[in-house]
Parts: sequence; C-alpha cells; structure tokens
Amino acid sequence: MTQQRFLSHEGLVALVTKLVAAGTQVIAPVRASDDVEQVDYRPISKLDEAAFGVRLPRRPLKELFLPPTEVLLYYRQTKDGVEISEVPTNARPRVILGAVPCDAAALEVVDHVMSWDYKDELWFARREATTIVSLLCNLMDAACFCTAVGLGPESFRGSDVLLVPSEGGGYVAYIVTPKGEALLNDSLAEASEAAFAAAEAARSEARKKVEPNLPSIPAEFSQWLAKNFNDPIWKTLSLRCHGCGACAALCPTCHCFDIVDEHDGSEQGVRRRNWDSCQTAKFTMHASGHNPRATQAERFRQKVQHKFSIYPSRFGEILCTGCGRCSRNCPGGMDLPEIVSELMAKAQAGPEVNKQ
Amino acid sequence: MKELQELARKLLTEGTVKVVIGYEQGPRGVRPVFVTDAADCEKLIFDRRCVTNLATYLNPRRKPIAQLGKAAIVVKGCDARSVAGLIREKQVERDSLAIIGVRCGGVLEDPEGDAELTSETVSVRCGGCEVREPKLHDYLLGELPPEPPVNPRRNEQIAALMKMSPAERRKYWDEQLSRCIRCHACREACPMCFCVQCTADKSQPQWIDTSATLRGNRAWQTMRVLHQAGRYVDCLECERACPEHIPLGLLARFVADSVEPRFDYVASDDPAACTPMGVFRTDDEEEFIR
Repeated sequence: MTQQRFLSHEGLVALVTKLVAAGTQVIAPVRASDDVEQVDYRPISKLDEAAFGVRLPRRPLKELFLPPTEVLLYYRQTKDGVEISEVPTNARPRVILGAVPCDAAALEVVDHVMSWDYKDELWFARREATTIVSLLCNLMDAACFCTAVGLGPESFRGSDVLLVPSEGGGYVAYIVTPKGEALLNDSLAEASEAAFAAAEAARSEARKKVEPNLPSIPAEFSQWLAKNFNDPIWKTLSLRCHGCGACAALCPTCHCFDIVDEHDGSEQGVRRRNWDSCQTAKFTMHASGHNPRATQAERFRQKVQHKFSIYPSRFGEILCTGCGRCSRNCPGGMDLPEIVSELMAKAQAGPEVNKQ
Repeated sequence: MKELQELARKLLTEGTVKVVIGYEQGPRGVRPVFVTDAADCEKLIFDRRCVTNLATYLNPRRKPIAQLGKAAIVVKGCDARSVAGLIREKQVERDSLAIIGVRCGGVLEDPEGDAELTSETVSVRCGGCEVREPKLHDYLLGELPPEPPVNPRRNEQIAALMKMSPAERRKYWDEQLSRCIRCHACREACPMCFCVQCTADKSQPQWIDTSATLRGNRAWQTMRVLHQAGRYVDCLECERACPEHIPLGLLARFVADSVEPRFDYVASDDPAACTPMGVFRTDDEEEFIR
C-alpha cells in the first residue's frame, strides 16, 4: 500500500509531544550518556533527545520484544497443590522512531518462528502494540550486507513507515501499513514531485553503498550448506571463534531462549525465560553428559546452518539481516561477510560434496 | 615482520610444530590466525595492533586447535603470564608448545584502530609494563622498543572507586552488573576460565540463577572474579568480549590487588611459582577468621 507523503520537522516534533502526552511510549536511537560514541534505542520524551543518523544502535530492537529475561508465571505451593498466576499478555502502546530498516525487518523475519509450533503471546502482544517508523540508513560500513539477504538500507520490510530525509529538515514518508497511516495521518502533507524524486534517488544511492560488500545470496546456497554438513571447512573457519556468543546476544534475529524455574524461599518461585545461545556448550548438553555439538566447530556450523539453510528451508527466508553487529563486536575477529563469501565461493566452485 | 615469518616457516617446514598461532591483518583490523601451511606464513604480523591474548587458544576446551598438533604461539610479555598460568595449573604441557616471545612496546586499546600509541590510544594495561621482553620463551624476536605511554584511565577509575563509601561502591557495581545479560562471553574469552564444567552451568543444584537479574548477575560475576584470584593477569579479554561493555577487568583488578599484599603473590610468567590457592602455608594471615 506504499504511498508517499511529506512530514515536516515541526510535524514530527508535535507528533512526539502528542504521543508522550497521551501515554504512548516513544523509543528512538539516543546517545548513551556515558559514551557519546554509542547509540542505543531508548525511550524519549521529546524529539530533540533522539540521535538520528549518528551510528548504528549498539543493540537491535530484539530486546524490546524478547527481553533478555522475563517472568512467564509465578507459582506457590499450597496445601491443595500448586497455585499459578500467569503474567498479563497485554502490552502498552508504543512507537519506535528512527529504527534502522534492517532492525525493523528482523522482527518480521523472527515472526515466522514465533508463530510456528505455537503462537508466542508475549512476542505478538508487543508486536501488535508497536508502530515502527524507520529512517533510511546511511550508517553502513564494511560489515554490512543487508542487500545480500534480500533487504536494503532503503527497505520497507517490517516498517510501518519509512522516512527519507528531505528539504527543510522534513521527511518524505513512505506509508507502508494502515498502522503507519493511522499514526501519521494528521501530521502529513502532500509530497512534491521533486521531493519524491530526491527521496527515490537517496534510497537508490544508499543501496549502492552496501551492494559491493557481498553479492546476493542465491537460493541454492541453502541446499549446498545442507549437503556439506561434514565439510572440513567448518573446523578451519571456526578456529578463532571463542564460542562466547556475543554475536548471538547482539544479533537482531537470534531468538533462542531457555525456560527456568527459580525458587524464592521454600514455597514460591517464578518461571522465567532467558536468552540462550547455540554458541555455548551447555546449549546442547544432554542429561546423560553426552554433547552432540562437542566442540566449537559444530556450534559455529550450527549457527551458519540455522541462519542460511535450516531457517530458509522451513520459512523461506534467511535468518540474518546483514546488520554486521556480530562481526563488529567479535573479540576473536570472526567476520560473517567474509565467511559467507568464502562458503559461497566454495559452493560455486563445483558440485563436489563431501561424503557423510 | 620478516623475522617472525621466517621462524614460523622454518618451524612448520621442519615439522617442529603443526600450527603457528599468531596475528594477521583481517577484514576488520588485526585478529588471531592459525597458520598450518608454511606457504601462508607471510600472513603473520606483529605490531601495536596485536591486542588479543592468544593464550586463550591454548585452553584445553579448544579441542579443534589441540587436534591440529603441536603449536607454536606468538606471545607478548604480558600474555606469557597466561601461558605460564596454564602450564602451572596443568592445563597445557610445556613440552607441547613452542613459545615465540616478541618484544613489545605496548598495544592499542582497539585492534581495529590504526592510531599511533599515545596516552589516549594505548591499552590501559600497558602502563608501567615490566615485561616488554618476555622471559618465558623458546625463541625471542624483535628489538626492545621504548616504554609505552601510560593511559591513566584505569587507575583513575580505581582511585575514584576507592574514595567511595561501601554503599556507593555497591551502587556503582549494581548499575554496571544490572546490564549483564549472562551470555558468559567473559568466561569463554578468558584464557584462565578452563573448568570442564563451570559452576554457572550446574543445574542440580542450581547454584547461581541463570536469569539476567541483578541477584544472579552479582552472584555470577562475583564467583567468576573470585575464581580468578591468583590467576588474573589483566589481559582484559573479558572486558573486550563483553557485549554490554561492563568494566569486568576493573572488578578482577580489585581481586588481584587484594591477593598481592595478603599472599605476596602476583601472577607472573614463572610456570613453577606456587599459586595462593594451590599451596598451604602456615604463615598465611587468615585475617578473615576471627
């Protein structure tokens, strides 16, 4: 339903003030107070607290929908049995303003698994209560490869509105969903043809800055990975990997969690779900003591296979937005665009498949 | 660095070692490399950007590396203390290693950086370095460079914390530790976290909450640094790995600084030294027993 309108700077300032006054949480990239070079998605009370276009926020939007730890239920042992009280699954309305397009897209990618064998009520309550206004990305560096995974710095995917900076500090607003239209409707004016043409040019320029980083990943890559599960390359590529899982913590699409019961005293406790990561040994440790992924080579392989083969074969798309956070933050110097490019070169080199 | 490349080539060609663990220029700054083919030795470099403590890769948990065969490892004087620690605690055999010591005049804080060494860019751990020339080595390379500049940031942090009341200090650490997401990246990147099963991974009983709540975070980080007593060498791999930028090295420094006067012990590059936790001494002060 994409249509283009014009949103003035004043219109956006007024919108934020109006939303905050009405009790809607507004979240935007903000400079971290202790480190000016760092930007995080945080609640704001007025627009000038936001830091648009400064740097890629250090962490993606994931934690706003799947917090690192959250309570699922409270329990109490009584004489008659166990009393359970579940947490409410309604979410407060909120608007995310100035999201990086790949971070918005990640949520839609993860929606598949969150509605696969069960519908995750907490995830979707937050998804439905949130309106996402993205901003054309010009923060790309050598670790980015969104265009290789079917997205782009100008992508609409997962956004309700995409803003492209325009004349006079205003924006050309691409209205992507009815939710986006409902949010901005009163604040919009007609976009002039010149403004729209400039916005289209800016979108295509931004795309060109990422494209050279990695060629588009072909559909056959997924099958090649599945067939080359026992290739020696998994061992050599993963030698420098510490298995620390910082990549998974910062990944917008890594969504695995662990569920634990924590007693607080003798009669009551909480059931929580906590982020988990396939990069740690404990993730696949069996009760018997056997671990099917005994070394980092198997764990690293799992990560690449899940993102580029298992998820695509199940849900039709890659579980990666090419945001580059894993590479930028790896203490061991692992570089995902380099790894994918090496694997793609091997895949293209020939039909040779290692026997299982 | 030709000298390093030639030595590595010789060790691999003659079959003295099967892999050389060193540094290379990666797509994002300098990073660890594992050279198994003599033809790849030209990848090896050593300069101020070689930040990583490679001793982490000798950790016995790194089976795929151990399976490559006998290793040669490039170590700075500071990293030699971790290698010594692993030998001392029987995690790696001295004879299974060829140690290539490199004289070092300080490294940058950021391995992706390319700045000259100044009091702002140099790693906080390089100030007052006494091991520019590693003592624990089989080969020793390079000229002795001048002393590195001093980055005062860490000592300023320590001084500020020491001025605080216990309640204020508690508040500071609670703020820092509340950010911990329990990914355990600090543990995995640490050369001295070599336990086959970490207490944090035990579930029967569950000693430590796995949730990223302040209670569990405090318990986890306190336990980890206490287990670093007599082991911590201030290589800051934990702090570098932390996706939340928690000053974990600062926390461990407090433990190391508490161990030093009480046990007359600093984790050194002498593999034969007796660790405070590994020895019983009748003259231990035991000031905590009243």
